[in-house]
Amino acid sequence: MSGDGGASIKARTGLHEGVYEVFARKRRGDALRHIGYIDAPGDELARVYAWKTYDEENWFEMCVVPRGAILPVNRSDGPWAGNR
Amino acid sequence: MTAGRESARPGNGNRSADAPGEPSAPGPLARHILSLADTKRLLGIRYSDWILGSPSIETGIAASAMAQDEWGHARLLYSMLKRLGFDPVAVEQDRPAERYYSAPALDAPFPDWAAFVAATVVVDGALAVALESFSHGNFALARSRVPKMLAEEEYHRQFGAAWFARLAGAGGEGAAHLERAARAMLHTTLAWLLPDDSAYAAVVAECDIWEADRVGERYRDRVAAALGRVGIRLEEIHPAREGWDPERRRGAGAPGEEAVERARGDRNRALFVE
Repeated sequence: MSGDGGASIKARTGLHEGVYEVFARKRRGDALRHIGYIDAPGDELARVYAWKTYDEENWFEMCVVPRGAILPVNRSDGPWAGNR
Repeated sequence: MTAGRESARPGNGNRSADAPGEPSAPGPLARHILSLADTKRLLGIRYSDWILGSPSIETGIAASAMAQDEWGHARLLYSMLKRLGFDPVAVEQDRPAERYYSAPALDAPFPDWAAFVAATVVVDGALAVALESFSHGNFALARSRVPKMLAEEEYHRQFGAAWFARLAGAGGEGAAHLERAARAMLHTTLAWLLPDDSAYAAVVAECDIWEADRVGERYRDRVAAALGRVGIRLEEIHPAREGWDPERRRGAGAPGEEAVERARGDRNRALFVE
């Protein structure tokens, strides 16, 4: 959630963290929408952190995606531009 | 306060033995529920100490959510005591520290983050297994309420497994702290999880929960892989039963008074206006 790709956390702890984008839908059939992002050191903690951080809704489904896995299609700016 | 404490003494689960609302001695099932509920309440307090100061914002949020989970589960467990003949509110709010049934590993605050992580595997894992056993018994309230708790506990398991692997894998001082903390918690937690006394045997007979051997196997399945990362072999750890208090189903000692004041909500109630 620091938005710095986990760099400050790495500096403080010596342990690497990455950014995960969080997507969720409230009901079956709803569109999956982007609801935020979290820093986590791996997939397992990313799932826990996302579920515990974005718990304001009774989500039907939630997913996390490593920011580095998202490929921009039509823009060269934005948070995923570095993945082109 | 004294009168309140007297009325909060856990009942024995047998209404015929005491005047309604004034039970005096805890029976096996009441002791079992108190052991689970008090441990969850204290674990919630120990988790809450790290809402600020944990390694990242997300970790602190997870610690907060886990603390709230534990308190919610504790409240549901305390409410089961009403079925056994005494007032759950009085039990929550009026008991002194020496009448707490909580696991001894939670008597003192976690000294560092490694101890927090060790507790998510050692103590939270023991609680989850004990609850799983309880949910498979014939006590209707446990069968209906505990499965939801276990679903929430799955995130605690994932959190503990991932953090334990992370600290152990990093090696050095962090891994050494983790091993020491886990070893220190294991002896008393095994005794708490696997009580070798007639009261536990009575709950097995009365409520059809798992026998100690099956509980131990389940616990080994749950925690052995994590503990192995720091060289701990569960079969080499012996339960510490010295000073065993059969009424409170735990070894000697009691949680710190400051934690019990928080568990009872003393300071908050001082602000209540009738």
